[in-house]
Amino acid sequence: MIDRRRWLDRFVEVFARQMAQRTSRRSVLTRFGSFLVGATLPVLPVARAAEDGRLPPPDDAALKGDAGDPKSCNYWRHCAIDGFLCACCGGSQNACPPGTEMSPVTWIGTCRHPGDGKDYIISYNDCCGQSLCLRCRCTRTEGEKPLYFTSKNNDLLWCFGTKSRAVNCSVAVVLGVATRS
Amino acid sequence: MIRAVAVVLVAAGIATAADVSGPALDYTLNCQGCHRADGSGTPGSVPALAGSVGKFLRVRGGREYVARVPGVAQAPLDDAATAGVLNWILERFGRDDLPADFSPYTAAEIGGLRRSPLTDVERVRRELLEAIARAR
Repeated sequence: MIDRRRWLDRFVEVFARQMAQRTSRRSVLTRFGSFLVGATLPVLPVARAAEDGRLPPPDDAALKGDAGDPKSCNYWRHCAIDGFLCACCGGSQNACPPGTEMSPVTWIGTCRHPGDGKDYIISYNDCCGQSLCLRCRCTRTEGEKPLYFTSKNNDLLWCFGTKSRAVNCSVAVVLGVATRS
Repeated sequence: MIRAVAVVLVAAGIATAADVSGPALDYTLNCQGCHRADGSGTPGSVPALAGSVGKFLRVRGGREYVARVPGVAQAPLDDAATAGVLNWILERFGRDDLPADFSPYTAAEIGGLRRSPLTDVERVRRELLEAIARAR
């Protein structure tokens, strides 16, 4: 048993010395960091929301004022949002706050991006599992329909298919570009 | 460093957002919120379309039922667009289950059926599912 431990010690020592001679600490950290980011992104809520792989391309950085601020009711994606903005609640416009779960059932509309003038398909998913966030309350109704059109009404709480029905906040995920032929 | 950034961008899937138009856009805006992009639905809340919707057309009364369910009959789309998105749904989520003699819905057919809404959706659905099970 002792001999086996010594053999293992020698192996680890030789391996560590060779690695130290061939690589710098910075390069190891860079590669390890890239691996971690690459491995983590696919499990983020935004990746689950965009089940078909479409992700947002519009350049918000070019927008001036509230239209480019995810913490504002006037943010361009929020043209039909009704609820508390997850960007103010520990999440973002794409991701739920830690400890909450994004509802797979959602309501979907379009908002025009003020930069490129395109109509983007926006999914307003509720984040569920904690009580109301109570920060950044917004009510905008572009394209919303009365309550009897339940699938196009944003007054409803949309925590379906989640462990908890308690609503915390809402995200606005871009699914694609709507083009009318 | 550039390679590391490229790895991150590829992992994030940052690319041009896909254009969506025609029946696919109508599905996204009017159906997908509940039935989901892959038609899987949400057990207990929303029926699945994938692997299910096409089977209704194999039993008597099923074709009429599919065009009269609330989501179809009350869709904020005209008859032609509703027929288009329903045919798109059947092609995408029910192709393997459709009967050999299936013919696409027409605007006129949708127009007639949606004006005769179901008064007891659950009962009709249950009876049709029993007929589908017997027909296996």
